[in-house]
Amino acid sequence: MAKAVKSGPKKIDISINGKAVTVTEDTYLLNAIMNAGFNVPTLCNHKDLAPEGACRLCLTEIEANGKRSLVTACNYPVREKIEVFTNTDRIKNHRKTLAEMYLGRWPNVEVIQNLAKICGATDSEKFKSELTDENPKACVLCSHCVRACNSFVVQNVLGFAGRGITRHMTMPFGETDPHCVGCTSCAYVCPTGAIQIADEMNNPADPELIRFHGMRINAMMSTHDKLQNRMREVGTANLVEVMDNYDILPVHNYKFGQHPDTAKIDSGVMKRKYFTQDIADGCWMGCSVSCAKAVDGFELKTGPYKGQRVVVDGPEYETAAGGSNMGCFDLDFIVEFNFYCDTYGIDTISYATTMAFVMEAYEAGIITSEHTGGKELKFGATGEVLECIHELARGEGFGVDVGQGIRRLKEKWSKELGADAKFLQDIGMEVKGLEFSEYVSKESPLQQAGYAMAIKGPQHDESLLVFVDAINNQAPTIEEKAEVLNYFPIFRTWFSLLGQCKLIWNDIVPPDNSKYPPNEAVKIPERVEDFQKFYEGMTGEPLDEEKMLRQSERVFNLQRVMNYYLGYGTREDDMPPLRAVGPATEEEYISRKERYDKQMKEEIGIDPDGKSTREKMDIIREYRYKRYNELVDAVYKKRGWDKNGIPTVERLQELGIDVPEVLAMLKGPEK
Amino acid sequence: MITVNNKEELEWCEGMTVQEVLDEMGYDYPLITVTVNNQLVQQEDYATYEVPDNAEVNVFHLVHGG
Ligand code: SF4
Ligand code: SF4
Ligand code: FES
Repeated sequence: MAKAVKSGPKKIDISINGKAVTVTEDTYLLNAIMNAGFNVPTLCNHKDLAPEGACRLCLTEIEANGKRSLVTACNYPVREKIEVFTNTDRIKNHRKTLAEMYLGRWPNVEVIQNLAKICGATDSEKFKSELTDENPKACVLCSHCVRACNSFVVQNVLGFAGRGITRHMTMPFGETDPHCVGCTSCAYVCPTGAIQIADEMNNPADPELIRFHGMRINAMMSTHDKLQNRMREVGTANLVEVMDNYDILPVHNYKFGQHPDTAKIDSGVMKRKYFTQDIADGCWMGCSVSCAKAVDGFELKTGPYKGQRVVVDGPEYETAAGGSNMGCFDLDFIVEFNFYCDTYGIDTISYATTMAFVMEAYEAGIITSEHTGGKELKFGATGEVLECIHELARGEGFGVDVGQGIRRLKEKWSKELGADAKFLQDIGMEVKGLEFSEYVSKESPLQQAGYAMAIKGPQHDESLLVFVDAINNQAPTIEEKAEVLNYFPIFRTWFSLLGQCKLIWNDIVPPDNSKYPPNEAVKIPERVEDFQKFYEGMTGEPLDEEKMLRQSERVFNLQRVMNYYLGYGTREDDMPPLRAVGPATEEEYISRKERYDKQMKEEIGIDPDGKSTREKMDIIREYRYKRYNELVDAVYKKRGWDKNGIPTVERLQELGIDVPEVLAMLKGPEK
Repeated sequence: MITVNNKEELEWCEGMTVQEVLDEMGYDYPLITVTVNNQLVQQEDYATYEVPDNAEVNVFHLVHGG
């Protein structure tokens, strides 16, 4: 089958001062010059900021098609074969004059003095005038601060006012702008000290340490996000198309992992037709990830606000994937669903997963329109879903039933309607009473356990591991898997202990992260170091990986003991429904028959030929639950829990949390 | 024949590049690291780096997301 192969970036051969080099198309000439080992003086250039071409010190001569011209190297993208000269007499003269002018204007600023030296300018009197500013910390109009405010923290507070010789850096109208979030990015990049930090709030032990590591993340966001996950552009919605492509996007109550209509709800459509704002999330102003998105002027079609135009915060990945899970590939619906869930105080994930379960039960004939108040709740029934939400908010009708969640619906339907309890258990995507979040875990034992063993119930917060085994085939053995399942939930818990955002841990990755072997790379070591330094900068106490995990383990074990006490903390509570570990219906088996048959032959060692789909499903079910239980055993052992998943007294002693109140909870669930 | 991530097998053809392997596998995730016979391949070389027959190709996906 012929496939369109994407062509990579073009390579261009150029020469720099006679040296032949190959560069990728659109590389800025200054970077090519530096990489080739030559130096050019610069003032306005900054490695983490988009070039501006303001100071003109980096002027370079190029020759293309026999024509010579002067360009500022910092913002000149290489697009054709050129010869470059960085040190001709013409350039040297130009540089010297420029440097003399800078020196005349700001004779005592250190960066200017250094530049003057490099450019051979010694006469500070030549261009002395009434404009000369003797301040050693004068502003030299490099615009680093303006660009950092824009691109590090997306704030746009700073700008220049005046023209020519009266040009100066300022906040709007020369007044203190209330939108300034005090992030100190501007001061950090200022080469002269013209911007001073007046106040270190919260008395951190070492503000400079925090600043250094915070700025490292800000800089990485501003330079690499557009090449990686485009969090600033589309937020977490970028995952919709990714998950669909990898067969992990939940469709029709997690039966399938992709759908031809996903293109109707992906981040491309959201960006083109819906998103109107790129803003920092409500967590804190000035967040450099700025993953929150909003839809302005959205006209509602249903409910108490019908006909009104509103602002909707979102949708994020989980909400959009809730749409595909309910078979509702319609962004108008998803945005309205998002709005009313927010307005009524309903969780979009729990609601969508419950509704997907309801829809499957409806299609399977377990409930009928008699039970739903006349609503035909098939997959894709957008209007009926919204009607149920409005009913729930009004406290009437079938909507109230849906609002109870999957666990109670399973009980209710098997008790009142005599429904097949085992089937409901197989397809009801909840563990510990909480509905699953929106990833298909069928092919990933790590994700199955990551979900079902999570303290809070099956959400991805503690461990999002679906790629690690299903795609990367890392951690192939049970022992290796148990190690991953021991590390990640504990590591991720640490963020919650400190109230830190997890997105900046793994949504922006240093380009050289691949220098680590895969099992280390997956931890993103540079970012872990940033977090450790935040802690040290705040408290004054150094933190290493061992200590970090220890802090978490104490809380993690305490949480498990509390779970146990509340009746949600034993092996039984860590068991996923069949839909989470394998095909629960013939339809699913058949849709991925090749995959399951192959596995049966190669992994289980049973020949699928001549067996009915039902028989094969039973074999897969037995095999996968057996494998799951082996994994659970290994994880419990690693965590120092007993066979039933309860932390042992010795473990609590070792962690130093064997206080009487905790030990009392170990006596068993509250009656 | 080449092996991808120690599990999938792909038919090899003369001049096959890393990019072709990624396309064939449907791997278009933004955060990946590729090695061919344990040799790291830079993203800008995907379209030109040729994969030899019998190569072990590893495409390592980093998880991201909330
Ligand atoms: S402190 Fe931050 S938000 Fe305020 S002006 Fe400086 S860069 Fe902008
Ligand atoms: S205040 Fe500092 S960073 Fe901003 S333009 Fe002036 S010298 Fe440059
Ligand atoms: S460094 Fe290129 S114009 Fe300033």
